[in-house]
Amino acid sequence: MRILTCLKQVPERDSRYKLNQDGSRVLEEDLVFETNESDLYALEEALRLKEGTGGDVAVLSIGSDRISKVLRNALAMGADRAIHLKDEAFERGDAWGTARAIAAAIGPEDFDLVLTGVQSEDMAFAQTGAVLAQMLGWPCATIVLEVALEADTGRIQVKRELESNVFERVELPLPAVLTIQSGSHPIRYATLRGIMQAKKKEYRVLTAQDLGLSPEAVGEMAAKVRHHRLLAPERKKRTVMIQGNAEEAAGTLMDKLVNEVGVI
Amino acid sequence: MTTRIVVLGEHRDGQLKKISWEAIGLGRRLSVELGMEVSLALVGSEIERLAREVSGRSGLEVVVLANDHCRHYTPEAYCEVLAEFARTEQPYLLLLGHTYQTMDFAPKLATMLDRGMIPNCVDCRCAAGQLLWVRQVFNGKLNLEVSPKGEPPYLVSLQQGAFPASEEDLEAPPRVDHRQVGLAEGVLRRKLLEVMEAVQTRVDLSQAEIIVAGGRGLGSKEKFQLIIDLASALGAGVGASRPVTDGGWLPKEHQIGSSGQSVTPRLYIACGISGAIQHLVGMSNSGCIVAINKDPYAPIFQVADYGIVGDVFQVVPKLIEIAREMRPGHPGSP
Repeated sequence: MRILTCLKQVPERDSRYKLNQDGSRVLEEDLVFETNESDLYALEEALRLKEGTGGDVAVLSIGSDRISKVLRNALAMGADRAIHLKDEAFERGDAWGTARAIAAAIGPEDFDLVLTGVQSEDMAFAQTGAVLAQMLGWPCATIVLEVALEADTGRIQVKRELESNVFERVELPLPAVLTIQSGSHPIRYATLRGIMQAKKKEYRVLTAQDLGLSPEAVGEMAAKVRHHRLLAPERKKRTVMIQGNAEEAAGTLMDKLVNEVGVI
Repeated sequence: MTTRIVVLGEHRDGQLKKISWEAIGLGRRLSVELGMEVSLALVGSEIERLAREVSGRSGLEVVVLANDHCRHYTPEAYCEVLAEFARTEQPYLLLLGHTYQTMDFAPKLATMLDRGMIPNCVDCRCAAGQLLWVRQVFNGKLNLEVSPKGEPPYLVSLQQGAFPASEEDLEAPPRVDHRQVGLAEGVLRRKLLEVMEAVQTRVDLSQAEIIVAGGRGLGSKEKFQLIIDLASALGAGVGASRPVTDGGWLPKEHQIGSSGQSVTPRLYIACGISGAIQHLVGMSNSGCIVAINKDPYAPIFQVADYGIVGDVFQVVPKLIEIAREMRPGHPGSP
């Protein structure tokens, strides 16, 4: 089983964002980045499949030097090799431009399965996996919680999450793309031994030219969605913010809930 | 010239989903603003009764794209049928609800049509004859205004509850355009084996008057006990956001949000919950919402009536203390 897991680096969940002059981008200087959570669940699933059936887990990410942290961590968690797509041309892509670059990297390889997370926490398009599948001409299942291989049939069964506590089980032939939902299995940590071993693992850096892609075919140039500006979200309610230390705030809140709202 | 807006309706058990009525509402509004026609498309098999009912109620023409393989949803059959429809009809805009089903097939459909897709929009405005769409990014902390590039059709999905539903029953004579459509050989690769409804949950929060819910901010299963203690002191139900049930701190049946339960208690106290949209759709219609979180920019504050920016481990014990004093003799009291 040859598996590729795609990982994205995103700002930490508790980040505070500052915008550039024209409000078109967030300033990256003060941000701390981490691996997108559902992508880590995808990697965990890949590592488990490999432990069950043998094979090879490659990891792929796109971005500048700072994303090497994501790939190094994945190698330390147990992935076998890393593919770093690094080129200014790949930057600021939407699902289309990003999937185009990943599809080109997959082209010469021989993967049975490609896993991504369900969606990124920054842009939240929730599309790259499904768009990639269509570009490759492979079947796809999104929002997957469990993956089971059917021995020697070249097919897999997966459990998908639907809304409101409903699930479905579907079967699809390999090669296939799956987008993995959080919560399937606890994510492992990199061990010290894993970190040491990671240093010896294959780490390839590929540019657009290496993939035979013109700059117009990927990233921002190929994007099908135009970004205009970032805005502060509108408040849906006039929130009363309660001030004071913990004791005062708790007292004020309970007082309001009893006397003003009348719910307690 | 493409001058038609098509709403793609999603249905289940013979009913159109609420989000599709919201898409119809927006489709109507945009048809006026852009001077275009609007109609509804439904994919399925034996859905004529539903089509007539929806057409009568909405006053829209309903196009039924019927194929036996679409009796149960699969992305390949749906995309095949819809791509063919989009190529022949060339609508200006395809409006969908942002549902799990849309997330599964719409990116594929857009790619088949060589188009992008703008998902999960919360707002829309018309500027210089162009539609600008607003979506939430960076965990709901910022909004991003976007527009599609290139030629129509444009594919857009709407966030649940973001646009008013078309509620009025127009009692119009039904207009249904039934089209039996074929599928090319070999397109169906993904096979549906079974649909599983979770067993009737032992934790029914839908009737709770008060819910105390905890999130990632609680940090561990042991520390989550604080939420259970506050709930007990208030005689409330215990809820959780996804990271809590993902981490196994609490059974899945306590999860509130799009993949769990939807609740509307009179009082909802969210502790250490940042307020991902998947959680908000399950609780934002609660009567009074209280949010306690250390991050002043957490999106949960956008829907809260009362907010405390602070450490749940300091604030919640104080709330427990007061609640126990107020309700002496209650099981949660010492």
